[in-house]
Amino acid sequence: MAQTPDHSSGVVATLERVARFLYRYAGRYWVSYLFGFAALFATNWAVVRIPTLVGEVLNALESSGVGTEAFSQRAAEAALEPASALVLELMFWASSLIIVRTLSRVLFFNPGRDIQYRLGVDLFAHLLTLQRPFYGRRKIGELVSIAANDTQSVRLLVGFAGLQVCNVAVAIPMHLYQMLRTDWVLTLYCVAPVVLGAIYMRYTVQRFYTLIRSSLEQLASLSDRILESFSGVATIRSHVAEDAAVERFELQNRDYLDLQLELASVRAFSMPVLAFSGYIGTGLVLWIGGNRVLADQLEVGSLATFTALLISLVSILTSLAWVLTAISRGTVSLSRIDELFDVDPELPEVTREAGLGAPPRLELRDLSFTHEGRDEPALREISATVEPGHTLGIFGRTGSGKTTLIELLARVYTPPPGAVFVDGDDARGFALDALRAAIAVVPQTPFLFSTTLRDNIRLRGERTGHTATAADAEIAGPRLFGISLSPKRRATSPEVAPDGDDPRLREVIDSACLTPDIAALPAGLDTVVGERGVMLSGGQRQRTALARALYRAPELLLLDDVLSAVDQATEAKLVAAIRGLSTGSERPPTTVIVSHRTSVLEHADEILVLHEGEVVERGTHAELIAAGGEYAAAHQHQREEADADG
Amino acid sequence: MAEPSKPDKPNELPGVVSAVTLLRRYWPYARRHKRWLLAGVSAIPLVAAMTTIRPLLVKQAVDEAIPAADGGEIQRLALLFLAAVVVEYVAMAFQVYTLQRAGHASIYDLRTAIFRHVLCLPARFFDKNPLGSLLSRSTSDVEALGETLSFGVFTILSDVVMITAILTSMFVLSWQLTLLSLSVAPLLFILVRWFSTTLRGLQLEIRRAQGVQSGYLTEQLSGIGVVQLYGREAHARASYEALGQRYLRATKLANIFDALLYSMMDGISAFCVALLLYFGAPALLGVGPFGGLSDGLTLGLLFAFVGYLQRVFVPIREFSGKLATVQRAAASLERIFGLLDTPREDRATLDAPTKLDDDPLARWHGALRVRDLRFSYNYEAQAPEVLKGLSFDVAAGEVIAVVGRTGSGKTSLGRILTQMYAGYRGSVELILDDGSALELRELEPDLVRRRLLMVQQDVFLFDDRVDFNISLGEPCLQDDHGALLAALDTVQATPFVRERGGLGAEVGERGGNFSVGEAQLLAFARVAARSPTMLILDEATASVDSMTEQRVQAAIERLLEGRSVLVIAHRLSTVRHADKILVLADGEIAEMGNHDELIELDGLYADLYRSGFSEE
Repeated sequence: MAQTPDHSSGVVATLERVARFLYRYAGRYWVSYLFGFAALFATNWAVVRIPTLVGEVLNALESSGVGTEAFSQRAAEAALEPASALVLELMFWASSLIIVRTLSRVLFFNPGRDIQYRLGVDLFAHLLTLQRPFYGRRKIGELVSIAANDTQSVRLLVGFAGLQVCNVAVAIPMHLYQMLRTDWVLTLYCVAPVVLGAIYMRYTVQRFYTLIRSSLEQLASLSDRILESFSGVATIRSHVAEDAAVERFELQNRDYLDLQLELASVRAFSMPVLAFSGYIGTGLVLWIGGNRVLADQLEVGSLATFTALLISLVSILTSLAWVLTAISRGTVSLSRIDELFDVDPELPEVTREAGLGAPPRLELRDLSFTHEGRDEPALREISATVEPGHTLGIFGRTGSGKTTLIELLARVYTPPPGAVFVDGDDARGFALDALRAAIAVVPQTPFLFSTTLRDNIRLRGERTGHTATAADAEIAGPRLFGISLSPKRRATSPEVAPDGDDPRLREVIDSACLTPDIAALPAGLDTVVGERGVMLSGGQRQRTALARALYRAPELLLLDDVLSAVDQATEAKLVAAIRGLSTGSERPPTTVIVSHRTSVLEHADEILVLHEGEVVERGTHAELIAAGGEYAAAHQHQREEADADG
Repeated sequence: MAEPSKPDKPNELPGVVSAVTLLRRYWPYARRHKRWLLAGVSAIPLVAAMTTIRPLLVKQAVDEAIPAADGGEIQRLALLFLAAVVVEYVAMAFQVYTLQRAGHASIYDLRTAIFRHVLCLPARFFDKNPLGSLLSRSTSDVEALGETLSFGVFTILSDVVMITAILTSMFVLSWQLTLLSLSVAPLLFILVRWFSTTLRGLQLEIRRAQGVQSGYLTEQLSGIGVVQLYGREAHARASYEALGQRYLRATKLANIFDALLYSMMDGISAFCVALLLYFGAPALLGVGPFGGLSDGLTLGLLFAFVGYLQRVFVPIREFSGKLATVQRAAASLERIFGLLDTPREDRATLDAPTKLDDDPLARWHGALRVRDLRFSYNYEAQAPEVLKGLSFDVAAGEVIAVVGRTGSGKTSLGRILTQMYAGYRGSVELILDDGSALELRELEPDLVRRRLLMVQQDVFLFDDRVDFNISLGEPCLQDDHGALLAALDTVQATPFVRERGGLGAEVGERGGNFSVGEAQLLAFARVAARSPTMLILDEATASVDSMTEQRVQAAIERLLEGRSVLVIAHRLSTVRHADKILVLADGEIAEMGNHDELIELDGLYADLYRSGFSEE
């Protein structure tokens, strides 16, 4: 059972965690469990009833005197009648057994599946609420491994193991009681080795628990290694580094194997000790009990009963060892999942529910920010005001804090209190979803989902790549009685727009200069772009991400260096498109645009030049050029580069 | 998932037979550990013998020794019992450990084989298959297999032995009664077969559903930023739920069939006994359809038969329970082999390392002859050609710039030359120093890539140290610190690498400890360290500030020195340095010549030049 001392938390905490989990997830299936118990009861009844009936039939035949001298045809026929009635009853129980046994298993195990499903969905929903600092700490491959493998082991807690625990909890005291009543001296003799075995078991379970924990952790890091290597497969193959990649993988794989083998040796050598201590007890009972019978301290019949009880107890002990392993695994997994549930999204209290109805006024007041685990602040005392519909330009080198600034405005990171104001309210107080609904952010590295280009721009989930591309989708599910077992999949998400002409879509594609690119794609807008959009070039990906932002018609537009991979002619068109964007309220959005190209920032109402997190210059394009600082120098260099030879 | 080699044939039901086939295919992985396997299997009879002896000893003691008041005999039996227990413990532990060891070790091999295979799959495969589902096949499917293989499957052997033994003794006693009580056997056979088939289909569906679901999860978590910034959480959750429902439905159905199979075996065993009594009892009395049997039939025989029947069904029930487990393993294996059956690219380094000693490309100095090169990403699906008959030459040491608008086929050209995508038409010949030519498609891709290196736009850094990221494990570079430092020097990356702690510095997940520009320079250091004969450079368009930009530019210029280069150009300065410029338009060479000639021509190049190139 759950006497599985953990290093970090004690037995009580573990039990408490299991209890909380059961209450939360298993509680609602009490009806199913109740009927399951009823079916289990009926099953046991049938199991007991069947051999009794067989015995009765045989007894009836015997009493008819078959094969003896008293045998007569008439007596035999008289005996046949009750016998065949009994046989019919036997058939009845045999058929009932099929039904009730099936029911008991289904009613017990299916809620486990439901629980696994709900736990998985809840975990994903929780992960969706967690913000950036968390995703910097945890690796994706590890999270996926927890969601896929650990929820699986938790299921065993509520299915098989739960059933067995109930069994064991009832059966062991009952057996002990019966044994004590039969002969308490003998009981002590046979319990002694079992107690020793149980003490040993305590340590074994502890070791097992630790090993399971390490092996699940190792599985997670193995998964992450696989994911990383597959993501970098293009680099691996172009540098002919397959061998090295395999070697690197083998290191993790080997560690995992070692843990598995250690687990195997615990399972093989330590786990059966409990059951075998019971057998040792049986041996002692034969010896001591036999002598007690000889000494007239015990009846032969009682010894037989005692032995039978003991043998039945040992079989329970055998299954107890298996249950203990399932439970250890389940509790380890549960604690790993709980660790994720315990992560707080770290969102400040919401003081403003309403989003933005119009382009907002942005205000930064002495904004300073230091990343988790770093000593140097990324931003130092930045102040600026952006009037509704105006554009703020941010210029600076790599590492000057530009991206951090965008991420604070988009609330990817929560800004410190009293530093960022949107329409006069502290940005911290906004309900995150309401605020984000009015913002469009284009990050520096665009992320495209493996779905159609159309869906990547609209993000309405018309077709998710996983159901659209994968051959897995067209299930070759088995057919039963002519009914396909393949579930009817919800073809579309709840908010699907009618798949018709979307003028807005065409408009933004045009603005993002994507029209010729789309024409060149095999299926146009319906082309499924690969994982992270590998089929598209860097520039195409950037412009797709830009189109995605434009499609939203946001009130606040945050662009993080999104025009780095386009030529000058396209750049000019894109800048014009961004400037010409109007929001739902027919006014241009408030825009913050980061770039290292002065040509992109020319039209900004104000430009901040960042250097190591500090504003070193500020002003309009013309003012900065006139000031002759870092910005002017960069402008000069870029002009020369562009005009060279021209 | 794309299992192109294994199309589902609806009229050919997967069943027990194909499970055997799949397990047979697994044998090569298990064979390497057959010593453990044999050791484990050889312990099975010993365990079985001890398990049988134990109750006999107890019976002997209770039924005979104790009533006979034979103290010495009791002591002897008790000691024998304890000895049997100890032997059983040792034999059983040994059996469990060795079988698990064989199982885990073979799975370790399989996992490596999958990983290795996936790394060698063609780029087209990765275009179509989400990484998450590949991840799921390399972990979850293998895990599911492991659980089956390490528990119990081998004990099926002992079940079979047990069933055969009991049936034989029944036949010897009375073949008529055996046939009578086993008249349900055909039904049993059909049931088991039908259930196996159904369970197999369900298990396959379960594995697929799980793969799709975790694939989705992987992608959503990788793109969590976009999901959150664009408020897609509810939609992501709904999709995840829908995918989970699919998995849930399949697992629940499988559960029902699992339970049904087990219960039916139980019920049928009772039914058989009933059948035996129903017909056997009248036969005993010389009446009924089997009345003729009464001569050899005694009540004792009937008693014995009832006992036998009840005993034979225990292993049958066990057997059918394990059958479900085997089907689970078979479903995993089917998916795993489906992946392993996807044709991969050839690799000289992995398949025929001896070839490296006699590398014909050692005599290649970078000259290339391309004639009528045509290419489509998918000829089978009638996708349009992206290259429509290119012909050009590259002399050894020549720098060729390729320019053109989006979709002109620039990037495809690089992908074909490095054999990232196979299936070009026309000819691409590598000219050796003696004038002989080697056709590209006849060479192993990795052999070519050792000499012909392509640097992609996206820099990928592994979560490891700087030295690994430059050497990428290349044996002759790995421990040669001098060469690695020289490479860093060449691309002027030494200062910032030293600042972070030198070659031993960790680059972080996806190179997070370095800026985009720095990552770019590290990628160039990889090239410098390898010093390829020919370089294909898809000029990076990553966002870097002008200071880093200058360093990147300088690094590129150094990399161009002394080798043939095909540069998919974005920078004016690079284009101007080129010996020859290919101007691509719509998959064809529109113009060819050097900068001045093409400007003179005042065509497409001059247009591109005026608009500043850069795009894509």
